[in-house]
Amino acid sequence: MPFLKDIKYSLHVAVHPFDGFWDLKYENKGKLRMALGILMALTLTMIVKRQYVGYVVNYNHPLALNSINELKYIIFPFLLWCLANWSLTTLMDGEGKFGEIVITTGYALLPLILINIPNILLSNVITLREASFYHLLDALATLWFVWLLFIGTMTVHQYTVLKTITTMLLTLAVAGIIIFLGLLFFNLIQQIVSFVYTVYQELSLRG
Amino acid sequence: MRIKSSILVLVSVLLLVSLCPRPAGAAPYEGYTYSYWGDAVQSPIAYLPSRAISGLEAGTGVWTAPGDLFVSAEGLLYVLDSGNGRIVVLDKEWKTLRVIEGFRNGEKKDSFNNPEGLFVTDAGRIYVADTENRRLVELDGTGAFVREIGAPEADVIGAGFEYFPRKVIVDKAGRIYVVGRGVYEGLIEFDSDGQFTGFMGTNKVQFDPVDLFWKSVSTKEQREKMVQFIPLEFNNVDVDEDGFIYTTTVDKKTFSPVKRLNPSGIDVLRVSGEIPPIGDLSRDRSAFIDIDVTGNGVYRVLDSTRGRVFTYNEDGKLLYVIGQLGSQLGTFKNPAAVESYENAIYVLDRDLGRITEFTVTQFGSMVNEANTLYSSGKHDEAAKLWREVLKLDANYEMAYVGIGKSLLRQGEYKEAMTYLKLGNDREYYSKALGKYRREYMRDYFSLYMTGIIAVLLGGYVIVRLVKRPRKEGRVQDAVS
Repeated sequence: MPFLKDIKYSLHVAVHPFDGFWDLKYENKGKLRMALGILMALTLTMIVKRQYVGYVVNYNHPLALNSINELKYIIFPFLLWCLANWSLTTLMDGEGKFGEIVITTGYALLPLILINIPNILLSNVITLREASFYHLLDALATLWFVWLLFIGTMTVHQYTVLKTITTMLLTLAVAGIIIFLGLLFFNLIQQIVSFVYTVYQELSLRG
Repeated sequence: MRIKSSILVLVSVLLLVSLCPRPAGAAPYEGYTYSYWGDAVQSPIAYLPSRAISGLEAGTGVWTAPGDLFVSAEGLLYVLDSGNGRIVVLDKEWKTLRVIEGFRNGEKKDSFNNPEGLFVTDAGRIYVADTENRRLVELDGTGAFVREIGAPEADVIGAGFEYFPRKVIVDKAGRIYVVGRGVYEGLIEFDSDGQFTGFMGTNKVQFDPVDLFWKSVSTKEQREKMVQFIPLEFNNVDVDEDGFIYTTTVDKKTFSPVKRLNPSGIDVLRVSGEIPPIGDLSRDRSAFIDIDVTGNGVYRVLDSTRGRVFTYNEDGKLLYVIGQLGSQLGTFKNPAAVESYENAIYVLDRDLGRITEFTVTQFGSMVNEANTLYSSGKHDEAAKLWREVLKLDANYEMAYVGIGKSLLRQGEYKEAMTYLKLGNDREYYSKALGKYRREYMRDYFSLYMTGIIAVLLGGYVIVRLVKRPRKEGRVQDAVS
């Protein structure tokens, strides 16, 4: 069963990142569909988390919950990260292709699912005094994810440790620039559209 | 013929409609509270306007810009008619008992000059903050002069100190506290002999980091032109039966416009939950101009921004809101003072020179009573009333918390969790959850443990059974 094998391999990456990411790049073991699957599963996990995490640690206004928002908070940053990382590393002698970056980032997200699902279950039976365990696990999930992302970036681009850290920080800056350019672009388009519309209105009212 | 009869029908219908009484809930303002999330949620009206009285109706002539109102322990209404410099005393039926126009101070006749504050002790002594005369005047119950207390004198008071007393209260021990105009050092405290003893309960200086930045980069000349950081002055004051002093401050930025000062001047106001007692949670914030403390730590504050009276319980939870700016009975033009006595709230309107009385509705009295029981720790009795409150207002969060706490004490942990969640009380929800968890584990621990052991054993046996034939097969392979 190839699907089970893929899952087993993604778990292997999570616990043996050096080994795993190497195989991912040079043995072609990473699958794009698996990476996207993990991304989808994470989105689902986060939606479930917002709604069903125990009341003691759940500060979400139930009337303000919107699953579409998760696209904004997870899928959009994911794509933005991949895009920014790719545009940066092509200039910085990175060896990774865009596909590899997407796969690496996707596999690195796995701990967030692995820890969050039991954490949601746990949060329903803890009291306010034990809430720190919940937050601890939450923080651990993030740290694990950042660790995997770090190893993944290092392996895929064949960077040194220092260069990886700089690249990752620069990627965040580039992501900011992309957002800025995007907003600028949409703003200009809007201006042009409204200009054309005004001209059309002027002509049609005179004619 | 047909037209005629149809008109007749129409007229009779209209007549009938106009004869029908207005619905009981009709009030010139909306009842609401704030939910845990800070959303305004509709709520039944707790107090309805019942009657109003102006100076003309009281037979004393128009009240000109009355500044203060006091209801004594016997229910007498003392109106401070500031513009005319007199005190009008009304009885419970709103008949004019006395009008104190002036008094004999030693040999000469004396009178008030634009007084702004009034206080009546339990013994019936009347204290007046005689603002423009820069003194306090104490009168006995009949209006005869007892003494006057002038400006405070001490080394700590600067030379430029201008004394204009605005509000006055007297505590059980006879100590006198005065709110002065422009006095930002706090309340001016006199002992029972009228000797100045010090300032008390200063507001903290508030500053903006942005202001601080500009101050640090500007030159000395520029700095001198800037507004100084000075604490805000109190604008009104009341005292409760335990001797705690409640103050208000008009400041639309602070999150503690109401303070409860203990005898050493430290703010001990209890605020539980996310929202402090600041009135409306809108961008244009409420400006509190008067406070009235009733029993059990319940206090009402009067907001001049929208002319509303906010009633909070001792935990700082909003119980109900009444009043509004407007021109109908029950709305105000320029509210100046709020007082309450038994089941009524009185609001004095400065511009209209009028007192409006609000009487409690069924909902209001249930909330009041339930809150009284609740704050004295009688949760089970309170829960019965809270259930009644919920029948009228399913959004009333305090009621859910009240019922939840009562269920928690009765050991109904699971149900308590439901109610405490509805009331958004995480702390007590967590307590109920802890108790429920322990109870659940005690009941089901053996069952689950047996289950787990059975599954483990079964799994082990199955693994052994599955593995053995393979080994034999391999051995056979090797042999062949």
